Amino acid sequence: MDKVNRQEHLSALRQKSHMPQRSVFFEKIIPILLVVLGMIMAGLVVFAAGVILGIVRF
Amino acid sequence: MSLNLLLPFFSTAIMLVFTVYVLQRYFVRRAPHFLFWGVGLAMFGAGSFAEAYLSLAWNKWVFFSWYLFGAALNAGFIGHGTLLLLTRRKWVHVVTILLVAGSLYAGYLMLQVMPNLDEAVFTTDKPISEQYGSKVLEKGQTPPAGAQTITTNYRGEQVTVVRGLLPLGSPVRLTTPFFNIYGLLTLVGGAIWSAYLFWRKRVLPNRVIGNVLIAAGALSIGFASTLTRLGYGQLLYLGELIAAILMFAGFLMAARPQPSEEPQPARVALATE
Repeated sequence: MDKVNRQEHLSALRQKSHMPQRSVFFEKIIPILLVVLGMIMAGLVVFAAGVILGIVRF
Repeated sequence: MSLNLLLPFFSTAIMLVFTVYVLQRYFVRRAPHFLFWGVGLAMFGAGSFAEAYLSLAWNKWVFFSWYLFGAALNAGFIGHGTLLLLTRRKWVHVVTILLVAGSLYAGYLMLQVMPNLDEAVFTTDKPISEQYGSKVLEKGQTPPAGAQTITTNYRGEQVTVVRGLLPLGSPVRLTTPFFNIYGLLTLVGGAIWSAYLFWRKRVLPNRVIGNVLIAAGALSIGFASTLTRLGYGQLLYLGELIAAILMFAGFLMAARPQPSEEPQPARVALATE
């Protein structure tokens, strides 16, 4: 494989293992999702703690 | 055929495939996180199967399986697998021992309550998630339609109780939040943390998406279980199915092998011919 083909091959491999640049999905949506998921997790943990402390009756 | 019957069967089928897939990886690689994931997923599947069974007929040991494995333990075991994946510190072994000991204790408490189950309450007309637990009615609150109530003395006061299979104040029910909190923090927290690490480095997008799906799936069942605890058990089966689909899809995506950054010598030789 000559040098140009090798560089193209490496570039193609890199694109598969790196996020696409200037992608709205990875730049905006993913971080928002992570924050929202974290907040829901925190809410559920607080609820479960409320059950243990007897604040939430079962 | 009702949804109460169909949804748990679908969940069971998905979890069976998922469990076998994960345990196969354990037998090949012998990594402990696969074992705990596999055991936790098997518990999830056992809980789903028990739900499907209990929508057709009563069996107290199937109910035992539903509550202990499906409601109490599975989140903790799956989450512990994630903890084992993310850290190699020695204190994790202590947590492993605590988890196993706590699980055995929960099993003991569940065995203790089995002779006191109020089996007369059981009906196949309602999902098991709507009839498993006895609940004190607050003043002014009306009982759900079709619910049986009794007036009894509880913690020194006369209360009206909506009858459920598990007696009021069963100690085993107090263990469930501990396992669920631990499972939430480790499984969901671990998935969110992993997704964040890969996102921050802008690498391995499949693992970012895979971990987001896993976190979303785990939260789906966590949310449905919380609603069940509040008396809205109708959504539990749907939550389980969504969890099964999302977590399996997330696992498959995150586990997809990535191409090596370096070209193989043999391929280089072939390309120049």
